[in-house]
Amino acid sequence: MAVAGAAAQSLPSSLPAPWWRGRPGAAVLVVAGMLLSYFGWKHHWAWPAALEWNSFSPHLDRFQAWLSNNRNLPHPNIAFRIFNGFANFLDDLVSWLTRLFYYLKWSGTTALGTLVVLRFGGRKAALGTLAAFASFATLGLWDNSVQTFALMFAAVGMSLAVGMPLGVLAGRSATFNRAITPILDAMQIVPAFAYLMPVVILFSVGPGAAVVTTMIYAVPPAIRITALGIRGVAPNTVEAATALGATRWQVLSKVQLPLARRMLLLSVNQTILFALSMVVIAGLIGGTGLGDAVTNGLYTDPAFAIFAGAAIVIMAIALDRATEAMANRTDPAQRHLTAHKAHVLRAYTAACALVVVAAVVLGHVFGAGTVWSRWTAQDWLRTYVQRALDYIQNPGTFLFRNLTNPTGNFLVQHGIQPLRTFFIETPWPATFAGLVLIAFLLSGLRRAAIAAAMLFIVGLVGEWANAMDTFSQVLVATVLTVIVGLAIGVWAAESRTVSRVVRPVNDVLQTLPQLVYIIPFIYLMPVSGVPGVVASVLYASPVMIRLVQRGIEDVSPESVEAATSFGATRAQVLLKVKIPLARDAIMLGVNQAIIMVLAVVVIGGLVGSGALGYEVAQGLQRNAFGQGVIASIAILALGIALDRVTQGRGAAGARSES
Amino acid sequence: MRGRKLAAVAGVLAVGAAAVLVVGSAGARSKASCGTVTLNEQAWAGSTANTYVAKAVLEGMGCKVKITQIAEIPVYQALANGKTDAVLEDWQHVDQYKQYISKQHTVVAGGPNGVVGHIGWYIPTYLMKAHPEFATWKGLKGKESLFKSPESGSQGMFLGGDPSYVQKDAQLIQALGLNFKFVSVGAEPAQVARWSQLYKQKKAVIFYWYTPQYLNTEYQLSEVKLPPRFKGCQDDAKSGGNVKQYKCAYDNTIIEKVFSKKFAGGGSPAYPVLKRFSWSNQDQEIVAKWIAGDHMNPDKAGKKWVAANKAKVNKWLGK
Repeated sequence: MAVAGAAAQSLPSSLPAPWWRGRPGAAVLVVAGMLLSYFGWKHHWAWPAALEWNSFSPHLDRFQAWLSNNRNLPHPNIAFRIFNGFANFLDDLVSWLTRLFYYLKWSGTTALGTLVVLRFGGRKAALGTLAAFASFATLGLWDNSVQTFALMFAAVGMSLAVGMPLGVLAGRSATFNRAITPILDAMQIVPAFAYLMPVVILFSVGPGAAVVTTMIYAVPPAIRITALGIRGVAPNTVEAATALGATRWQVLSKVQLPLARRMLLLSVNQTILFALSMVVIAGLIGGTGLGDAVTNGLYTDPAFAIFAGAAIVIMAIALDRATEAMANRTDPAQRHLTAHKAHVLRAYTAACALVVVAAVVLGHVFGAGTVWSRWTAQDWLRTYVQRALDYIQNPGTFLFRNLTNPTGNFLVQHGIQPLRTFFIETPWPATFAGLVLIAFLLSGLRRAAIAAAMLFIVGLVGEWANAMDTFSQVLVATVLTVIVGLAIGVWAAESRTVSRVVRPVNDVLQTLPQLVYIIPFIYLMPVSGVPGVVASVLYASPVMIRLVQRGIEDVSPESVEAATSFGATRAQVLLKVKIPLARDAIMLGVNQAIIMVLAVVVIGGLVGSGALGYEVAQGLQRNAFGQGVIASIAILALGIALDRVTQGRGAAGARSES
Repeated sequence: MRGRKLAAVAGVLAVGAAAVLVVGSAGARSKASCGTVTLNEQAWAGSTANTYVAKAVLEGMGCKVKITQIAEIPVYQALANGKTDAVLEDWQHVDQYKQYISKQHTVVAGGPNGVVGHIGWYIPTYLMKAHPEFATWKGLKGKESLFKSPESGSQGMFLGGDPSYVQKDAQLIQALGLNFKFVSVGAEPAQVARWSQLYKQKKAVIFYWYTPQYLNTEYQLSEVKLPPRFKGCQDDAKSGGNVKQYKCAYDNTIIEKVFSKKFAGGGSPAYPVLKRFSWSNQDQEIVAKWIAGDHMNPDKAGKKWVAANKAKVNKWLGK
């Protein structure tokens, strides 16, 4: 009943004291104090140099040089040779997979993919897979897609091989879980740009390094969701098994793992999607395929980058739906196999295998290409995409002159700029104290202490001004995300049609590389800062929308019925019952939205948001390793502070991932 | 049940694996004496032009050519390991030269590729015609507000270059005492989007730009002259220090080639050819325009240029 209690607090009618006496009032007071100090002493109190640790960055640079010099000796020591061996193993794995697809020819690859899905996932999912292959062919990106698929296959396999056992451990041991959580946070928040160079020095370039980079990002969800699944198994079931004399191993293999099956499959599914979102980064260090088609396309041929982005989305959606369908269809709890049925299924499997072999043989007999290249619709599609791009790039259109350009300018002049100046120029003690006080009001003493420590770290590494700049943009993006997410999430929960439209749009926004969907906004809202904010909002909204929608749909029908029987209108039910009861889900949405917004900070740096993102990007591109790491530490500290603060009082400890 | 299903899956996989092994061992080795040469192509169009012209030449000699696309700094590790053989357009990565060429001896300098890069402050030519005083930086003084933008407030906006490029514009603005706000708009595609959008509206814009660049054939741009160079003048603000040491025009950049030590010392017939590879800014801009401006297939563009420039190519081939 904690939910209902929390909800009651937010209902104005049930509050005995007026709002200005409560926490909101105190928060307003804090903000007023910050404003006062801004107008009184702006510019006067920059973060003091005495509190900066400036020698950290050169230390890091020297470390990188040392690493490179020792790594590239004619006979490197054993540690480096181990990294070499691992990289070679991954290189071989990826190239073996690629050669397998080449050997199967396009005909065999298509048959294999489609029939595996057909056999285990059913007709609908198989049709989707076939459509995905068809679109790779028509986009003229068969070769790139096959290479990316091989890379993803290896990366996901390795991520699961590492993540699932650790997840089981974390699920069974609370101590281990606590120890590993901050590491997982860091792996997900620290931008890949920061560790790309050390990865390259240790693992060299090529598919191996690309797999390692992808793993750093894709292992955390595998661990987290697996652990959640293991923990979710009812304790009395485990106790019953133990009472019956099961060993620890038996409990795990016969009780916990089978009962956590759905969660384990979800972790496979999420690992795939996380891995796919690293494709573009992997392309920078020799992970061939769709990723470098996107990066190189952006410079010389944006239409081509859009095609490659579309192929990534199609691959993600097809894999998502296929794994989901296979998880549902093969659920032992839902299918009851008789001997006869099993016999039929075996015959079915054999038939599928036979068709695959036939497709391969036919491919070889008729000299089908290793990749599909015979006919593509690329040139035909290009004329349309180019026409759309030309329209977007034309500043004389109605859209640009009257809608997007004024909107962008308004956002900069009345949102981003004033907020940025406010946070940068307010005396740092005022900002510091103000933010910590707000954290205290929102989340209590312990979390406020964490926020204070994190803010201090930001200053200590010398990134106070940049971090405040980034923070102001994160704030604008989060506010917009919450508005968009609440509106669309509520609407989707209330209307089936909207829900059906929103789901694929969400999928596209989460898997399309941000650099691709940001292209139009660079032209349509050409003021620095805005494309970055737009990118964050588009990337973070889907999570917010999903959580809000789920929260509202999960409100118990009894509460709704009760309200309706008292004569409440639909709007009243929504505002007074559903939204307050979904408060926890909504707050979780806000929390996740902030983390997602932070994840796009570096992309923002590449499209003009400046500050920390720019520092990180430059760190990799100009060989300033120290600078990149330090800016990443600031991003991480900011992320942890914001995460802990927005977890709120009610949801203490109940952190769920989605 | 489960065991049988697994067995079936394993069976399918085993057939596939066996098939691959057969093919792998039967796969014919390349007969060409020079084997496979790996060239690295970077994101910008000029680099694509070098790479594909070199590819066409090497393929004409019977080499197989593989192209990698690795970012500018990580590619040095690729050269050190011999995963990439050659980079044909390197914009003076002095730190890397020190570390990989002088210290580790894992990469060797390949000499200039003939293209001379030039960085500077550029404005649209229509603006230069309307304001002839903008020919030098002194003419900008007092007129900065002409370049106002939503994010620059009362100051003028100076559009900075791609964060990965050598630059010192924020320092230059300060040293010259100009009332510009340095605005970073991010990577090159974003920067191009920004200034080309203003160009199309015939508005005032000043930005970091360079030659050779194929877009220079599409847009009419003029350079603003910066103070002359003096001894000890720096171009890369990364080194920090007093802004005064940046108060000069950018130096011309000799574009270099760099090779992997393994490739240079491996006796490949492709090495001397790539070492002699050298062409002009105009050559590169033409090929870059075919590829990026006209969307010609890069392989086709490379072959087209090679066919039309037999004399230059023969020189590279040592004929």
